[in-house]
Amino acid sequence: MNNEDNADKKGFLSAFHKFFNKIKELFVAFAKRFKDASTGTKISHFVMGFGNIKHKQILKGIIFFIVQLGFISLMVFSPEINATPFGSKSLVNLITLGTEAGDISNPTDNSMLMLLFGIVTIGMILLFVMTYFASIRSSYKADLDIREGKLPTTFKQDLQALLDERFHIAMLTPALIGILVFTLLPTIFMISIAFTNFDSLHPAGQVLFDWVGFENFVNVFNGTGEIGHRFLPVLGWTILWAFLATFSNYIGGILLALLINRKGVKGKKVWRTIFIVTIALPQFITLLAMRNLMADYGPINTFMVNIGLIDEPINFLANAASPWVARITIVVINIWIGVPFTMLMTSGILMNVPRDLYEAAQIDGATKRQAFRYITIPYVVFVTTPYLITSFIGNITNFNIIFLLTGGAPNVPGYIAGETDLLITWLYKLTIDQNEYNLGAVVGILTFIITATATLLTYTRSKSFKEEDAFQ
Amino acid sequence: MKKALLILALSFTVLLAAVGCNSDNTLKIWVGSESEAFYTEKMVEYVTEYNNTHDEEFPYEVVVSGVDTGTAASTFLDDTEAGADIFTVAHDNLGKLIAGSSSIAPITSAALLAQIDADNPDSFKDVIKGTVDGTTYTFGIPYIAQSLVLYYNTSYITAEQAETWEGILAAAKAANKQALSLTGTDGFNNSFLLLATDATDHSTSLELYTDGVQENCFATGDDTIAKLKWGQSFFLDANGAKKPSESGWEVEISDEKSISVIGGAWHFSAAQAALGENLGITTLPTFTLTEDDAYGTAVAGTVYKSGSFADTKMFVMKKNSERAEYLEDILLFLSSTAVQEESFEAVQNLPAYKNAATEFEAFQEDTLEADLASAQVEMFSWGIPQPFGFSSRFNTYFYSKGAPELILAILENAENAYSTDQDIYDQMVEIQSIWTTGLKLE
Repeated sequence: MNNEDNADKKGFLSAFHKFFNKIKELFVAFAKRFKDASTGTKISHFVMGFGNIKHKQILKGIIFFIVQLGFISLMVFSPEINATPFGSKSLVNLITLGTEAGDISNPTDNSMLMLLFGIVTIGMILLFVMTYFASIRSSYKADLDIREGKLPTTFKQDLQALLDERFHIAMLTPALIGILVFTLLPTIFMISIAFTNFDSLHPAGQVLFDWVGFENFVNVFNGTGEIGHRFLPVLGWTILWAFLATFSNYIGGILLALLINRKGVKGKKVWRTIFIVTIALPQFITLLAMRNLMADYGPINTFMVNIGLIDEPINFLANAASPWVARITIVVINIWIGVPFTMLMTSGILMNVPRDLYEAAQIDGATKRQAFRYITIPYVVFVTTPYLITSFIGNITNFNIIFLLTGGAPNVPGYIAGETDLLITWLYKLTIDQNEYNLGAVVGILTFIITATATLLTYTRSKSFKEEDAFQ
Repeated sequence: MKKALLILALSFTVLLAAVGCNSDNTLKIWVGSESEAFYTEKMVEYVTEYNNTHDEEFPYEVVVSGVDTGTAASTFLDDTEAGADIFTVAHDNLGKLIAGSSSIAPITSAALLAQIDADNPDSFKDVIKGTVDGTTYTFGIPYIAQSLVLYYNTSYITAEQAETWEGILAAAKAANKQALSLTGTDGFNNSFLLLATDATDHSTSLELYTDGVQENCFATGDDTIAKLKWGQSFFLDANGAKKPSESGWEVEISDEKSISVIGGAWHFSAAQAALGENLGITTLPTFTLTEDDAYGTAVAGTVYKSGSFADTKMFVMKKNSERAEYLEDILLFLSSTAVQEESFEAVQNLPAYKNAATEFEAFQEDTLEADLASAQVEMFSWGIPQPFGFSSRFNTYFYSKGAPELILAILENAENAYSTDQDIYDQMVEIQSIWTTGLKLE
């Protein structure tokens, strides 16, 4: 065993030790508080809200008690929603994902709802545990207030506090609920599906599906089926597309902004307004218009045929003879759509470059070219790096442009993913069109890993992150 | 944080209470959007009649909603509890609805089964049945039929020319136009070639999931190869057929780039808008094999009639509906020949009733709608129902695994890769593999 292995082992043991110490501290604090608490607070450990009621915080106590009662009822009685139990039974169902296969007269266990309810129940248990400790803390705080000769806070005072010193809690709560219900829950659900065989052969409520471990992920890399054959080509095009789309817009936008902002250019505001108008149009309308413009019998082809430039219309998009024709066309259309936005943003940045930097450079004898190279460019890049990263990530998941221009075509015989499909449009086809939910979830997770890794790697290495206070 | 948790806990309590209190007294029926008003009116009639003939009033409020019939089955399967008690689907959705333990109920009423048996062509009676746990049941009640027809521009093509593809091609050459537009590149659109049958005896070697068995596909018969060879020459002709442009078939037809299009009843309005008074409607034409097209036992001079998928839309019932005892009587009424005839007159739904062409007065009128109906009915004898009601995956294998693209590649002789008989044969072996397994040959 070498020194590196020893160091790793020590580091692991140290982290392990720290983790258990933290747990131990929590238990010690809990026991200490229990020992120190009043009888009412002690009973609150078993009957939530009892201590609050004893301290005349009646309403608060009742609410805690109702929460406990509701939670216990939920877990004991496991009420059914859409013929699928919620509560403690859903925890068992989360493991089995259903046992009743059903027949022509009897329903099949809905594995999808069982998975969902199981996850929600775990979330509710966690929330209940947090509420449980909150009730104890609340009662114990009343104990301390009384010991200090103060009156425990009333329900009205608690509500007022929510509009005063705890206003941030009142404001953040709806957002927190939204994130839990609409972001966190679907995310955990989606991740879970990636580890099942929930696909078109296992429709929810008709055929049971089950846990399959990492099988779906293994298939990505062992070349099995649609996902094995098409993942790497789609990933390659997705990254290339994101790179081309981001940098063509970025460089084009900067050049356009520099051009418009040049001394001597007349009607700067008019030029800017013209480009703003293109931004004002909804993107999908622009995309559909561009698709029609470039269609076989659209104005561009008709014009080229009429002037004798070509004999036959060129298929630029879904019917293109070569995938690269379609891909290049998409990138060009994206430039048309994206450059005005970058131009507008860069115009604002250029107008805000500190004048004193240029003056200092002028005094030092710098030429205009040098000032541009060493002041303008670094400043623009510094300010726009976060935009560049979000733009890159946005382009990885740019659904609209592909879906509306080509629908992923030209098609690849034998496979669902076409030549211009991005991971995100492929994911859409897999789930919405083909009901291959497990494969869709795998693609979704891998897309997240790629985008998150790209974001972290690029942003933490950028000057915007390392030299946050520069240019201030 | 304490308050936040409190609000969260309360929110869940309210949510649970709200869910627990959910109940309704409605009987829901989903029909095609275009038929919503018609069937709403019919159900008012039904309930009135029920109330007049029974001691008690009809116990439920009937709600008829218009839905996209193409996605109704998927919408239902997304949340069967919230789905309609009776809903309409194309018959090829049956497979996904009865997968596993089935989410729809079989028909048990003797009266309804007798009506289905008496009123429908045999081809429909086969595709409304499905097997669950080894037992075959009747699940669907046909009430609308549909098949492909030819829409053509009468200012370029005469009625006589429209009877054969050769006549249409001659008309196209005379006007230097494209002979045929297709509305899509999927398997539905190449059916005019693949499903073509011998014009004299209706024979074909092609098999598509015969008897609902996945392996029962055969796409490499001599006649199939010969038909594709003819199709290739039709597509490669400068004035022949072409796959749909990115401009869309409507533009091709209205701009007179092309002079005919194969479509269903759902394309009628668009075809009428594109061609106006010049719209002609007829059955799909015939084509004759030339010396170049002959292959094996398929000899030159053989005449084939273009085929079509001849489909039905049917009503189905939700499994374990609380209103189950009322549903079959409602369906007996909604699928009756009288209501089917009224439906054709009101919203041009082509009846599934097998004798509609001769018995329904509306069919005898001199209107485009009557022409469309007559052409569709005639095409039924040259077509087969899409044989995809048997399994949840047959549709996928036929339509979405690239098989249509492989057929199109033959027709367009992409990259000159299908210039020989053997090339075409090999490609059809590949296609047959996809149909039966969902996978290309390795």
